[in-house]
Amino acid sequence: MNHLLTTVLLCCALGSCRSQRSAANSYPAQIGNIAYDPAQDQKDFPLCIADTLNQNFGSNGMRYEGEKPALAREFFSRYDATRVKKEDGLLRIRFIVNCNGATDRFRIMGMNNDYTEKRFDTTISNQLLRITRSLNGWKPIKGQRYNIGYYQYLIFKIKDGNLKEILP
Amino acid sequence: MKILHMLLLLLFGNMPAAQPNCNAYLYDSDTLQYKACKLVENIDERHHQFTRAFQEAYDAALKICPWFAYAYKEKAVAFLKSGDFLTWKKLIDKAVALEPAHYLGYRGWCRLQFFRDYSGAIDDIERLDSLVPYDIGYSVNSDYHLNFARAFCYIALGQKQKAVEIMETQIRTKGYPVLVYDYYQLGIAYLQTADTINAVKNFERQSDLNEIADNAYYRCKIYKAQNNPAAYQKYKTLALALYDRRRVLSDPYTEPFNKVYRSVIEKE
Repeated sequence: MNHLLTTVLLCCALGSCRSQRSAANSYPAQIGNIAYDPAQDQKDFPLCIADTLNQNFGSNGMRYEGEKPALAREFFSRYDATRVKKEDGLLRIRFIVNCNGATDRFRIMGMNNDYTEKRFDTTISNQLLRITRSLNGWKPIKGQRYNIGYYQYLIFKIKDGNLKEILP
Repeated sequence: MKILHMLLLLLFGNMPAAQPNCNAYLYDSDTLQYKACKLVENIDERHHQFTRAFQEAYDAALKICPWFAYAYKEKAVAFLKSGDFLTWKKLIDKAVALEPAHYLGYRGWCRLQFFRDYSGAIDDIERLDSLVPYDIGYSVNSDYHLNFARAFCYIALGQKQKAVEIMETQIRTKGYPVLVYDYYQLGIAYLQTADTINAVKNFERQSDLNEIADNAYYRCKIYKAQNNPAAYQKYKTLALALYDRRRVLSDPYTEPFNKVYRSVIEKE
């Protein structure tokens, strides 16, 4: 009887812990935060002051050397549509630009044209990821005393495997 | 009572981006929605929309009132701005399902602005137009009437003449206050239909209304093609000067339609 009671109490306690944990973890501290993943991220990538990572909003547009035309040129000149699977949809790559303008923590999300989740063929996603990783024109946000890092995303509109538009 | 409710919404809460007037729900005897609304009243002053606390506050409001559409829309915003189209769409669809007349225009504009979902945006805006007897309203950033948004979509889908007609009809609508970039966008639409005369006419109107670098650039480009070096130089210089003063098409979240960049002006 005592054994049964202990088991029941233990189950209740574990269940309670689990539900508390799931409630606390249902959202990241900020929507869109990208946690460190040792399997794919640089161990020593400096976040500078991690708590000050911004979302890249601001009326001055994309913080990229040469602005959006320079960034778009990289993709449209290097993306090779002749060797990809003919797929449609949007592919988002979100990442961190740190206070030095360096990038890491790249994450991919894809959707079909009806907003359902899609995993793009790697002939498409790996190419776009490789080009995104290689970009070196990102500029940090100029703070009063320090430069500030931020989250940036790029969305690629794909039609029949061709790169049609780059957002935002 | 319904009329009073409509008036309250029109006066205080008919813009999807704005916090609703909670009292409007009380006048409708919807006490649960009133309570949910009060729970998150002025929450923007306490929590940024990207924070966990913000999301949880709206979850609590939805527990009180599952048909509080505004909560779904507000929860969706951070996902929209971070490019998470999957979560955004699930949330905003709930708001639209609950209050289509209120959120279809908003969803349609966002589909266009953030995801260049031209067909989806047209579907939403035209469905809204078929649902309501009043004007369908404006983009959430207030830059354009939703009929202009619809026209941008038709241009992207290749129906340029149709787009010109939609824009012209909107500009000629009695009582319509021409917005800050309307003539510029109409000028571009005319250029795309190879109608330079009407393009120039609208770029000139834009100059009179609100000169921006983008507009000055197109004027310089046309004068160059017309072999008018003095006007070409004048507008190129103006375009560069305006660009450096940030008198340009701009938006905090996405690169605007038909934006012209400094490097493009320099090369002209």
